[in-house]
Amino acid sequence: MARFEYLEARTLRQAISLLQRHGDEARIVAGSTDFLVRWRQGVWQPKYVVNIGRIASLRRISYSRRLGLRLGALVSVRDLETHPQIQSNYSALSAAAASFAGVQVRNLATVGGNVCNASPAGDTLPALLAFDAQCKIAGPEGDRWVALSEFFTGPGRTVLQTGEILTELRLPPPLPNTGSLYIKHSPRGAMDIATLGVASVISLEGSGRVCRNLRIGLGAVAPTPIRASSAESLLWGREVTPELITSAAQAAKADAKPIGDVRGSAEHRQDMVAVLTQRTLDRALDMARGNPMAFEMQRQFAIQAAF
Amino acid sequence: MPEHIALGKSLPRVDAMEKITGKATYASDVYLPGMLMCKLLTSTESHARIVRLDTTRAEALPGVRAVITGNDYPDIRFGSGALRDRRIMATDEVFYIGEAVAAVAADDEITAQEAVELIDVEYQPLPVVVDPLQAIRDDAVPVHEDLESFEGYGFAGGGNNCTLLDADRGDVVQAFQDADQTIEETYQSQPINQGFLEPMACVANVEPNGRLTVWASTQGPYQVRAQLASVLDIPLSRIKVIAMELGGGFGAKLRLAFEAFPAMLAMKSGRPVKLINTREEAFTLNGPRLETNIRLKTGVMNDGRIVAREAYSIFDVGAYLGAGPNAGVGHALGPYKIPNFKLRSYGVYTNKIYVGSYRASGVADMTFAVESHMDSVAHQLGIDPLDFRSMNAVEEGDISVSGARLPRNGLRETLQAVKDRLGLPKKMGEARGLGIAMGEWRSGSGPSTAAISVNEDGTISMLTGSVDISGSDTSMAQIAAETLGVTLDQVVVPKRDTDMAPFTGPSGGSRIVYSQGKAVQMAAEDARNKLMALASDRLGVPPDALACENGKVYVQDNTPQELTLAQLARMSLTSPQGPIVGNASLSSMPFAPVYNTQAAEVLVDRETGRVTLTRFVQAQDVGVAINPMSVVGQLEGGAVQGIGRALSEELQIDSETGRVLNPSLATYLMPLAVDMPEIETILINVPTDDGPFGARAVAEPPGFGPPAAIANAIYDAVGVRIKELPFTAERVLAAIKGQQPKAGFIDIEALLSGENPLV
Repeated sequence: MARFEYLEARTLRQAISLLQRHGDEARIVAGSTDFLVRWRQGVWQPKYVVNIGRIASLRRISYSRRLGLRLGALVSVRDLETHPQIQSNYSALSAAAASFAGVQVRNLATVGGNVCNASPAGDTLPALLAFDAQCKIAGPEGDRWVALSEFFTGPGRTVLQTGEILTELRLPPPLPNTGSLYIKHSPRGAMDIATLGVASVISLEGSGRVCRNLRIGLGAVAPTPIRASSAESLLWGREVTPELITSAAQAAKADAKPIGDVRGSAEHRQDMVAVLTQRTLDRALDMARGNPMAFEMQRQFAIQAAF
Repeated sequence: MPEHIALGKSLPRVDAMEKITGKATYASDVYLPGMLMCKLLTSTESHARIVRLDTTRAEALPGVRAVITGNDYPDIRFGSGALRDRRIMATDEVFYIGEAVAAVAADDEITAQEAVELIDVEYQPLPVVVDPLQAIRDDAVPVHEDLESFEGYGFAGGGNNCTLLDADRGDVVQAFQDADQTIEETYQSQPINQGFLEPMACVANVEPNGRLTVWASTQGPYQVRAQLASVLDIPLSRIKVIAMELGGGFGAKLRLAFEAFPAMLAMKSGRPVKLINTREEAFTLNGPRLETNIRLKTGVMNDGRIVAREAYSIFDVGAYLGAGPNAGVGHALGPYKIPNFKLRSYGVYTNKIYVGSYRASGVADMTFAVESHMDSVAHQLGIDPLDFRSMNAVEEGDISVSGARLPRNGLRETLQAVKDRLGLPKKMGEARGLGIAMGEWRSGSGPSTAAISVNEDGTISMLTGSVDISGSDTSMAQIAAETLGVTLDQVVVPKRDTDMAPFTGPSGGSRIVYSQGKAVQMAAEDARNKLMALASDRLGVPPDALACENGKVYVQDNTPQELTLAQLARMSLTSPQGPIVGNASLSSMPFAPVYNTQAAEVLVDRETGRVTLTRFVQAQDVGVAINPMSVVGQLEGGAVQGIGRALSEELQIDSETGRVLNPSLATYLMPLAVDMPEIETILINVPTDDGPFGARAVAEPPGFGPPAAIANAIYDAVGVRIKELPFTAERVLAAIKGQQPKAGFIDIEALLSGENPLV
């Protein structure tokens, strides 16, 4: 615990100018669910803490079939979990949010915070990657856009420059015949950090055989959340067969570059990537073929890998 | 069966309202005028000489009122177990990462922390030994160079081997020769933390009369008082310990913890000082359990009779013998008749955080090994594991390891109850399995006292020195109420301290209701006898014509002659015998072991190794349940702790430095409600001869069986025997894939080798 000066921004402009003034000595907080823990541990010792939690314009959620989903950076993880449009159109994201910490923390934690904390194990990140989220960044020079898959540069590190703030995430509208599923593997059934997490989003051509679109997001198996690119490319534009899915699962395993820690060895994590990728693809494919899965069931998958 | 007024009723706790409204006061809730906050500087080295310790810069920081180091304390070694091997604060050497080196008292917590960071300390590293299997070798690096000077060291083996417990009977060598089959296995339990929710906290203050008052979070206020007097080298009579509400202890708070730091700072600064541990400190400063390696060898006849058992265990104590020698040695037999045995348990020092107690220290580890091994032996013999247990189970009249004769007990009833509930034997589906385990615990004993006074309004004041643990105050008040024939709400249970209440043993080891409750019953009987004598005198009838029920003493043959307790209490004030006070003191209780049987059903994911507990059933002989709701709560809580130990809990320790790697509730994974199936608890009632109303101990046994029951269920489900705790997905998957565990078979006997004089 170190002393800091607490600053509160009421507008985006004000926040950017505070960040410009204090540079690397400042840290942005919103829900503070990461900050308070790290500060108490003495890991983060900023001289200035800039609270952006009261900038109302960053709280908006909007969805349209044409533009997709827009999430202000301050949208709570609890909102991701419970918002009806998110649950029905981006169900893997809602389910991932449901697996995030406990309800009290989900009420405080923000989606922007989860993204900017850039933990390889961030619970919403594999699903956001799999839904192809784009990041809107505001800064002294104006706005710029970065794909989420390009946003992370290392554990806890992002492309954000001094004075920049993540303000919005945009998820393109889902294609027809899409299924998505997130599976989190963790020792405990709730309130636990992922040993690994896999989110798959698959869309089929009208005929229901050929893969039109596929994204697989992997959590906690590399220095940042990543896409399983070689697994994805195996299926894109091809007729989906059980053999191909197994190959994709093996390819995803090769895409992963995990480390070992208190939650599991590198080898175990790598092995589990194949198992969970296979399971998410199997179920997501089933959903894409018109067999919906109740959200409550998806939530169970997200919280426990046991089935 | 007469109608009971309080006994056997599931009444709410006497302190329920203050607890659920958040008004109950814990040590961290104590605020005194001028109170300072304390922070600790702890060792960053596993083993090192302190070559320089300079507090000048810390003392100069504005707001800092006192700084102490080990040199502020008298040059005294103390111990919590059989050895005096430890100083309260490091002086010239540190023995583990996290050991306290200095402490600061300042106006607020942040200033205290800043001051801690200004203390200059320089270490000269010394050789380190972390693995207990290395540490016990003759050529190992010694953790303590000067251990020959430790008081009580005659108890020890040599080198880092600080304790040996042994038990022998019969001719083991011959018995193994005569046995049809011999089965030998090694098991390993993991380091674990007790998981109390309330981190340790205390406030210390020097009163105007020079006495020291300590508000503590403790299970043993009299033990804290005695140890505090010893390390501060002041008379015990100068210390008052106030035991505040306890937010979980499970053995971790049985002894002196950090009370001596704020106490010394209060003495030095002249101001009250508060210390609240961070959660990290709750994991790194004192008292978890460390690993135990257990090798079991069993000789059996083909008909299923066990004829011999050898058990060697190596028990890692860490840097000091915190909790004493391992209690598990006698439990290497399990609750079975084994005519020939040789049991050895070796304690060994390593450069790690030292061990504390945890819900029958050592017994849970041993039960995991023994009850897993019982299944291995049964499978080798081709006998159903339940039948195998049944045919070898101890019976009334058998002689226990300690030499005591086994009294009447409910062991077989617990086995039968679980069998009936689950419809055993039964075959589970694909990747599903079922396993059982049995457990045994002597009922806790030790010094117990109580004083019962009858107030002028007829209410009862019950004074005991014991700390409420899991509702024990309520059970004891029910015992007093039942004995005196009043309802529970007529019993006043005052908060007490070591000045006010007579000495009693700590709240631990399942001793409170069985032993302390007995003292309450005896004191209440004493008060009742005095009430009857007074009533007999006033009503002019002999005492045996009277009854004491429903708040009054009346003549039994239906005449309307009666005196209320209020009337009698008022009369007593001017009677020759004076006010009605019942007293009782006892030092120990007869041997009355408690038995349980626990069963787990699991589902194993063959691809991920994940084990899901789908059902848990347990039956325990509780003698008589004073408060069934409280008893069931204890049994469920214990089972949950055992399930956590089985599936996810592990204090991970760096193999090079002994550092705790996961000192937080985010990384030390205790199970949650969502991880638990409903726990089905069956109470068996085989009363004891001596416990209050026939009650037995309750608390320790439910934590014993889950690891073995779950291991046996995993074996039943997927045919692999997991011998290391916990059963993480990774470990189970490795076993399913046929990979050898890293520990493998440990030949403890060979390790100790012929040169070791102890073997």
